[in-house]
Amino acid sequence: MYVELHARSAFSFLEGAVLPEELATRSAELNMPATALADRDGVYGAPRFHLAAQKAGIRAHVGAEVTSADGARLTLLVASRAGYQNLCRLITRMKLRAPKGEGAATEADFAEHAAGLICLTGGDEGSLAASLAEGGRDSGAPRQCLERLCRIFGRENVYVELQRHFDCREEARNQAAIELAHSLGLPLVATNGVCCATAPQREILDVFTCLRNHCRLETAGRLLARNSERVLKSPAEMARLFADLPEAIANTAEISSRLEFTLNDLGYEFPRYPTPPGVTQMQFLRQRTEEGMLGRYGPHHPRALRQVEHELKLIEKLDLAGYFLIVWDIIRYCRAQNILVQGRGSAANSAVCYSLGITAVDPVGMELLFERFLSEERGEWPDIDLDLPSGDQRERVIQYVYEHYSQGANGQKKAGAAMTANVITYRGRSAAREVGKVLGFEAETLDRLSSLVSAWEYRDEKDTLERQFRDAGCDLAQLRIRKFFELCLAVQDLPRHLGQHSGGMVICQGQLDSVVPLEPATMPGRVVVQWDKEDCADMGIIKVDLLGLGMMAALEDSIVLIRDGYGKDVDLAHLPPDDPAVYATLQKADTVGMFQIESRAQMSCLPRLRPERFYDLVVEVAIIRPGPIVGKMVHPYLKRRQGREPVTYPHPSLEPVLKRTLGVPLFQEQLLRLAMIAAGFTGGEAEELRRAMGFKRSQARMEEIEKKLRRGMAERGITGRAADEIAQSITSFALYGFPESHAASFALLAYASAYLKCHYLAAFTAALLNNQPMGFYSPATIVKDAQRHGLRVKPIDIARSGWRCILERTGDEIAVRLGLCYVKGLREEAAQAMVAERARRPFASIDDLAERVSVLRKDELVTLAEVGALNWVGEGSALPSRLHGNREREALPYHRRDALWQVERAARHEGPLLGSPVSVLRTNYTTLPSLLAGEGPGAGGRAEPSSPLAAMTPEERLVADFHGTGLTTGPHPMAYRRRELRALGIRAANELESIPAGRRVRVAGGVIARQRPGTAKGFVFLSLEDETGIANAIITPGVFEQNRVTVVQEQFLLVEGRLEKQDGVISVRAERVLPLDVTRATTRSHDFH
Amino acid sequence: MYACIYIPDFPLQALARHDPALRSRPAAVVEGTPPLCTVIVANAPARALGVAPGMARMEVTPLPSIEIRHRSSAEESSAHAALLDLGFSISPRVEDTARDTVVLDLAGLEPLFGAPRQIAQLLTGRTRELGCEGQVVVATNPDAAVHAARGFAGITVIAAGEESARLGGLPIHVLAPTPEILETLDRWGVRTFQALAALPTVALAERLGQEGVHLQKLARGHTRRTLVPVEAAPRFEEVQELEYPVTLLEPLAFILGGLLNQLCARLKARALATQELHLKLELEAGIEVEPEVEIGNSKLATRPDRESLQSPQCRTLQLPVPTQDSQLLLKLWLLNLKSEPPRAPISKVTLAAEPVKPRVAQGGLFLPLAPDPEKLEVTLARITGVIGKEKLGSPELVDTHRPGAFRMKRFAPGVGRHKTDGRRSTIRRPPSVIQREPQPTTALRVFRPPLPATVETRAGHPVRVFAFGVRGDVVAAAGPWRTSGDWWRDDSWSRDEWDVELFKGHGQPTRLYRIFCDLATGDWFIRGTYD
Repeated sequence: MYVELHARSAFSFLEGAVLPEELATRSAELNMPATALADRDGVYGAPRFHLAAQKAGIRAHVGAEVTSADGARLTLLVASRAGYQNLCRLITRMKLRAPKGEGAATEADFAEHAAGLICLTGGDEGSLAASLAEGGRDSGAPRQCLERLCRIFGRENVYVELQRHFDCREEARNQAAIELAHSLGLPLVATNGVCCATAPQREILDVFTCLRNHCRLETAGRLLARNSERVLKSPAEMARLFADLPEAIANTAEISSRLEFTLNDLGYEFPRYPTPPGVTQMQFLRQRTEEGMLGRYGPHHPRALRQVEHELKLIEKLDLAGYFLIVWDIIRYCRAQNILVQGRGSAANSAVCYSLGITAVDPVGMELLFERFLSEERGEWPDIDLDLPSGDQRERVIQYVYEHYSQGANGQKKAGAAMTANVITYRGRSAAREVGKVLGFEAETLDRLSSLVSAWEYRDEKDTLERQFRDAGCDLAQLRIRKFFELCLAVQDLPRHLGQHSGGMVICQGQLDSVVPLEPATMPGRVVVQWDKEDCADMGIIKVDLLGLGMMAALEDSIVLIRDGYGKDVDLAHLPPDDPAVYATLQKADTVGMFQIESRAQMSCLPRLRPERFYDLVVEVAIIRPGPIVGKMVHPYLKRRQGREPVTYPHPSLEPVLKRTLGVPLFQEQLLRLAMIAAGFTGGEAEELRRAMGFKRSQARMEEIEKKLRRGMAERGITGRAADEIAQSITSFALYGFPESHAASFALLAYASAYLKCHYLAAFTAALLNNQPMGFYSPATIVKDAQRHGLRVKPIDIARSGWRCILERTGDEIAVRLGLCYVKGLREEAAQAMVAERARRPFASIDDLAERVSVLRKDELVTLAEVGALNWVGEGSALPSRLHGNREREALPYHRRDALWQVERAARHEGPLLGSPVSVLRTNYTTLPSLLAGEGPGAGGRAEPSSPLAAMTPEERLVADFHGTGLTTGPHPMAYRRRELRALGIRAANELESIPAGRRVRVAGGVIARQRPGTAKGFVFLSLEDETGIANAIITPGVFEQNRVTVVQEQFLLVEGRLEKQDGVISVRAERVLPLDVTRATTRSHDFH
Repeated sequence: MYACIYIPDFPLQALARHDPALRSRPAAVVEGTPPLCTVIVANAPARALGVAPGMARMEVTPLPSIEIRHRSSAEESSAHAALLDLGFSISPRVEDTARDTVVLDLAGLEPLFGAPRQIAQLLTGRTRELGCEGQVVVATNPDAAVHAARGFAGITVIAAGEESARLGGLPIHVLAPTPEILETLDRWGVRTFQALAALPTVALAERLGQEGVHLQKLARGHTRRTLVPVEAAPRFEEVQELEYPVTLLEPLAFILGGLLNQLCARLKARALATQELHLKLELEAGIEVEPEVEIGNSKLATRPDRESLQSPQCRTLQLPVPTQDSQLLLKLWLLNLKSEPPRAPISKVTLAAEPVKPRVAQGGLFLPLAPDPEKLEVTLARITGVIGKEKLGSPELVDTHRPGAFRMKRFAPGVGRHKTDGRRSTIRRPPSVIQREPQPTTALRVFRPPLPATVETRAGHPVRVFAFGVRGDVVAAAGPWRTSGDWWRDDSWSRDEWDVELFKGHGQPTRLYRIFCDLATGDWFIRGTYD
């Protein structure tokens, strides 16, 4: 019997070419009872290997190749839980004291963590090979090396490792090792130093070798593998190879029998929440829940009471009180720090979470399914995700958790919390780029190839990788190109490196570094575990997701801006429900900037759905998802809502479940309930069903489930068409639908954003602009939309603007002043220095600005001048108030070109002779105030004359605005051309409403969104913006094929076609698409999603 | 007065000299490494189809009937030389302003060629004879002439004092300012000569420095500068037209010897030597286009000048060192012609030499004598003629696992032999690679090429070997040592090697061999024998 004890997976990052799952499957195919995975300096692949091995029916041994201080590696295999903990601590120690990706263990480290580990001397990178190479077989070094290992790990735990890859030099080393082993009385063990599961994977290994060494295949020479022998070999093959040393084969089985540890015995424990003396965690949780319930439901709410009691019992049974208390503690911290926080996901199905303030949706009122969140049968931790404002606020919460759970009992630092990892894998573009580089393709070829890799969500049949290669001028008949193509496919999904998950945190009662090795993250002060969040979940490690949401940050900013600008305090938790203005806006689909309901698809659904209450918004959020669309639920629901179709149910017993959604299942919970009611599934079984239809659904499993469903339904008398209908909706839908609770949480945010936009447009717009990038539309579109709603958006002005956008009140009018953050290339530190200096004293001139804020670079000054931010320098108190305002400003003799003229001189460095004092040389000009007062040049004071340059034309201003800030506060580019457009018979967006459906029309505008959704069969949807609003165009696949380049690349388009109107949704079905030359300004559109 | 000739779209026009069809059809010139080429010039019909500089070749290719040509440095050089020749045909003072621009000093030429406009017309006509369409300007100063030529089509004559007014409408990029200044001027809205000329000079100097002031002077057409004339390059070319076509090498050697003597005498008279010679043989019939060949260091090539020369045969001879030795050159040419004889009778011989400074070498008193480079060159050329160029040179080991791999590098005795490469490799070698090479205890005498063999095997192990001159039973074998690689190339390999001890018969000593099996074909070979 042979057991492979030294195998590397692709989790050795560029040193292995096989996924752990493949390794496990192949081991089972070769009839190996067990295999040890020993990746380089980590146990990254261990969970996946463990699960795959369980599935394949073999044992998964845990190990690692640990780098020692001399650069050689020791193969350490885990014999017991103590050994595993030692290995994790050893790796953590060496990783945390070195920069990311480096680290080596000293002899003392090995000695300290040797217990429970078995040491193999390694292959050609092992310490024995290194000492043989160093001193030769006759020197004392190899013997000393083995004696040292015996001292560290104990003689009974050291095995001399032999590998045979048909290499004469390796064989010479083996013979030396055998002699040494015999003389020291150490046992031999055979391994194959596996890096691949099959021989063809050697090509991937060679590519990885080149990537690791930053060279090409042509120049890598002897760095590449000598042959393809590092594959997983069968026991028979290994026995043949080591026919002369049968004990080396026999010892593999002996070692395997000593390796008792598996990841089932991880020893993870969630931290206990510190409760007052004499109070158990459960009692404490019950108290907190009851307090919260009183606030949420009031004293008399029997249904809520029953639900909470039911949940608490289950929580107690599953011993999860600590987990809920810790999440509650994080929420409490956020509240104390005024940080907006809201639980999302299935936690919103729990009345306990609602009572504790973790979520904001009432699961009792909405009759949400608790089993979707927590069930006894599932045997896994519940998943609580917290949405936080993106940016600094979220970082503060992360640091709180990190600090709070890293304090030991006596104030000592312990590794109690860390971020989960994010395994970065090779995907289309990165694979093509890296493989191509190694094969020696030129950078331009690779750029072209990666740019051709389609980013559309929808791909037609011709849009294959093969076609992309051909388009890039690559002929697949050539060997090198064919290899390129094959390798691009082969490396897909192999791990590339370890990143940090954006918000997943794991917390542990004891030392986290005994459960999984920790590593430093790229971000200073952050520590990540070696497993990604899925692996953590699979290993039963509880995690809390602290997710950053741009809209949360925008809402938080809005509250502050409303308080400062409007003088009102808004509490998001107590917004007026069912505000008529909000629903009127939603029904018109006037939703630019609103959370989750601003996309083109949402906008076309809103006028049909016509939301009238909060629950309609929940439906709206959930209905535009691939699940309902693919499952063909959207149209039946909308028709029933509009009364065009009767509300029916597949079976009368399902009426209670489907009544709220008019007989059409829209939420995950409904499907689970369908399975429970119609087929008699238990809560846990229903949840199992959802997971079975997860991302990697297998046909066999699906069929099995369907059979079970049908059997259950038949037992309850549901057969025929009704059974078909139910089975069809469950199988086609479950994966891509939202849970109702999640939709409700998002709907709350959607409602809040809609409310703020309707009632506090200035604050909401400023907050949106301050938290870009987020949402569906670019800042330019957000500004234009706000302007169309009557908001005044003032341009950037260094006399007034701060770094972020602010509100300015003039009488009753509240306007938004754009912030300096919109000036492209302007550094925040320079802007802040300018703002601080301005607070001391206003700038008298551009020279004054350049002198006092010396940190400003010339290019920054130039951009500021170009976008008009310096037009007001020197206005001080001298400028007459009549000149305030955008329109008048352009009429001033002092314009952007004047500023550019001045900047060019102010930013020019004089030589040492003329360097100081600058002002002396620049005083022979008049000041602006004196100029305005009609005084001639030389009237004294500091310089700010007009220039000999002509003022910018509107087109030039537009170009400068978009170039310098990406948006304009002036008229929309289309407004300048309206007369010409009218002459061409082009209608403005707001005119379409009054034109009867079916007419041929021409519309035109700047493209703000292009979409080709996967569910739309190749149709392309365009949103065209002009000064009056947004027009929608539908491009059929045929028209798209004929005008592909125009549709994809042009900034402004003219679309001619028939006007379609359906339930208030207006669009033009394009028959012709033409490019339109409107401006040279570079506008942006949101494409492909 | 000064005249400027400017050839717009020069890369395209240089190609159109030999392919006039490029003028009338939509045509574009591309640059870059295929398949990633971008358009650098397009003619008017192509521009009308939407072709613009900067477009990728792939964007242009689908357009109907478009001719796409790759930029040709050689053809541009010859067009440039022709342009200079044109200048010298009119004026002795010609400035080589740019590849596409020349300026002529017209002082004193009026009595010979007439008024400025007539000269301009003459220049235009001669430019057309060269196969190019030029823009010709006569002005009072060279810069004004150059700028006007780059801005105005056809013929322009600018009278004294009219420069500023005539140049005013030209776009600012004609001045070719630095990208930074061009950007600044564009931001200022200064886009014509007139706008730049109108700016206050002192204020401009404060902002753009002296460069700005200079550009302004240029824009006003007020610069005064001295022309920088080039000397007419001395041409070392000898031509002989033959009364009767030559078909044998001997009379051709006689003719070539005479031409070479003349050439070398002329070179010596100017204290020059040559390192490159071009031989043009006009043939009586047929088109001769041959691939480039290389023999040792002498580059013997046929230049595929397909359009221009009605297919005469052109060859180039490059030497490692400059020489004036006509005998040496004759030998090299004869070796060249012998290895690749012309395929038709020769009616005209043109021999041109590229002049360079002669070699100056000081031999060391105590240094060993190195082979004379000239003699070595002849010897190498002779050997190459016999064995082929790929078989001549110094062997060099290649960094690969492929057994016995080496490549031939240029044979250069004494060059870099004791020098170490100062660059350090950044590639990290694993211990197995960097470990000390084992000292060989025995030497392997390699058969090149390996000896094909028949090998009997038992359980995968060789037991008997038969080959030419080698036969015996295997008494001991070690292996297999398996290597494979270069899987991304057409010449990938995969082989098992064995060290075998052969028993050849009683009374004969056993011998050690290295044998191998090509795993792709299953064929066995003897790679070598151990000493």
